[in-house]
Amino acid sequence: MRSRAILVLLDWPSSYSCSRPVIRIEHLHKTYQVANRDITALTDINLQIEAGEVFGIIGRSGAGKSTLIRTLNLLERPSSGSIFIEGEDITQFDSAGLHKLRQRVGMIFQHFNLLNAKTVAANIDWPLKITGKYTPAQRQERVIELLALVGLGEHHDKYPSQLSGGQKQRVGIARALANYPHLLLCDEATSALDPETTQSILRLLLDINRKLGLTIVLITHEMQIIRTICDRVAVIDDARIVETGKVADVFLHPQHAVTQRLVAESHIFDNEAGLQVANFRGKLVRLTFVGDITYQPILSHIAAATQALITILQGTISRIKDTPYGQLLVELNGSEEDLRRVFAHFDQYQIRHEVLP
Amino acid sequence: MINWSLVDWADVWQATLETLVMTGASLFFTVLIGLPLGILLFLTARRQLLAQRGVYLVLSLVINVLRSVPFLILLIVMIPVTLLMVGTSLGVEGAIPPLVIGTAPFFARLVENVLREIDRGVIEACQAMGAKTYQIVFGALLPEALPGLLAAVTITAITLMSYASMSGVIGGGGLGDLAIRFGYQRFQTEVMVVTVAVLVVLVQLLQFFGDRLVLHFTRK
Repeated sequence: MRSRAILVLLDWPSSYSCSRPVIRIEHLHKTYQVANRDITALTDINLQIEAGEVFGIIGRSGAGKSTLIRTLNLLERPSSGSIFIEGEDITQFDSAGLHKLRQRVGMIFQHFNLLNAKTVAANIDWPLKITGKYTPAQRQERVIELLALVGLGEHHDKYPSQLSGGQKQRVGIARALANYPHLLLCDEATSALDPETTQSILRLLLDINRKLGLTIVLITHEMQIIRTICDRVAVIDDARIVETGKVADVFLHPQHAVTQRLVAESHIFDNEAGLQVANFRGKLVRLTFVGDITYQPILSHIAAATQALITILQGTISRIKDTPYGQLLVELNGSEEDLRRVFAHFDQYQIRHEVLP
Repeated sequence: MINWSLVDWADVWQATLETLVMTGASLFFTVLIGLPLGILLFLTARRQLLAQRGVYLVLSLVINVLRSVPFLILLIVMIPVTLLMVGTSLGVEGAIPPLVIGTAPFFARLVENVLREIDRGVIEACQAMGAKTYQIVFGALLPEALPGLLAAVTITAITLMSYASMSGVIGGGGLGDLAIRFGYQRFQTEVMVVTVAVLVVLVQLLQFFGDRLVLHFTRK
């Protein structure tokens, strides 16, 4: 099994994984006509997605995220604007160019969309077959490699109806990777799965992203998914992108109201409303650590160096993808001078601090 | 009272064979014409792969017109055309053209409906893979729709059998002809009972084997 997986890696063209934009979206607009009324799905979308990154697009239902991801392989035609994939404007492609592009861009779906009449192997073989580029023997070998990659080796001859949801999505992933894509689009790929299966599918996606250097663009309505696997995120609301940035930045310092609500709803940070602020006589400060300092005894250092009393009232120490972070609510007691020195230390260690009223 | 000696069993056997031949041959041509027509209807409908409003509307209109003509009228109207096509409007051969024209539009509609039942997501997944329309039709749509298509063929075969019997009215062959000439015109109720009984058995058999076939290909 393991050796098979390695074989896949050797087969993969090594042309990607350097940092250059795979996707550049410029001034993208999309309006639908529904019952003679114009409905705007996307307004002036500008995005750049780098090679090898996992890029998340988050928004509520109806925000336009689904339309956005579907423009990336032109399942949805934009009304205006350009989409450059590896330097080529795909909105200018003729139908032959479009078929070729779609063979290079894999896509997985919320409801898997497998062919029920075909076996697992035939489902994965089908995208290989339609290219007309491989012999039956090459295709058969590739199917076995892909099944090993997603951990479904023994389900070769089963039909999709005999598989669990998570297994179906694994088949979907294998199928999407069949033609050595540079880019994988995930359309709410885990929304129909239970939390445990979701985690295993996310791990698989991350694994594929790392091993193969594949760029992944995913849409979701769950902050938890963004936090688990994405490098960067764009928040979409009412057809517009309202915030873009590194996940840790957006997560810890959400700027836009929509982002703040999404973060709050994800319940990653404890609700501070339960605290009776009036009960504390010292200064209440929210501290945010990002990176390696999260695991260092900084508060002890500061306490020892300044004589100030630091009480931790609430806190979270966790990870955003690979980045450790902590968010603590502390009460500071001490003289003016002590407190001034405490804040100086915060600045020195680059700990973000925010004094609560 | 009932006198079974009036029934000529050799005639009944001959008529049964004729009915089977008429049904089988017309079923073949019905599927040959109706299947592509149904696929075209499906593909040209709104928001489908080859969405072509004009083509869809014209096809749809022709099908509706043909389907709204009562079969008995179609049998009579078709006589000159049938003469041109097979040289006679009588007997087994004479019945086949009107049977095909009568049921192909019906079958095309059934095919369209079966194809519409396929999850749009599956078609979308095929598009996303870069499949061309013909590849989607032959590689995905038809295999996915196979159980539904077989059910549609079964229904059509049974309809054809009943239409084939009706063609006895204008001199088509088979059980219908037997029932009309002996059972009806000569008041031999026994012949009528026997032909109806044979038809009941044939319909049961068709439905039974049709269902078995559908089940065999169902993967859900």
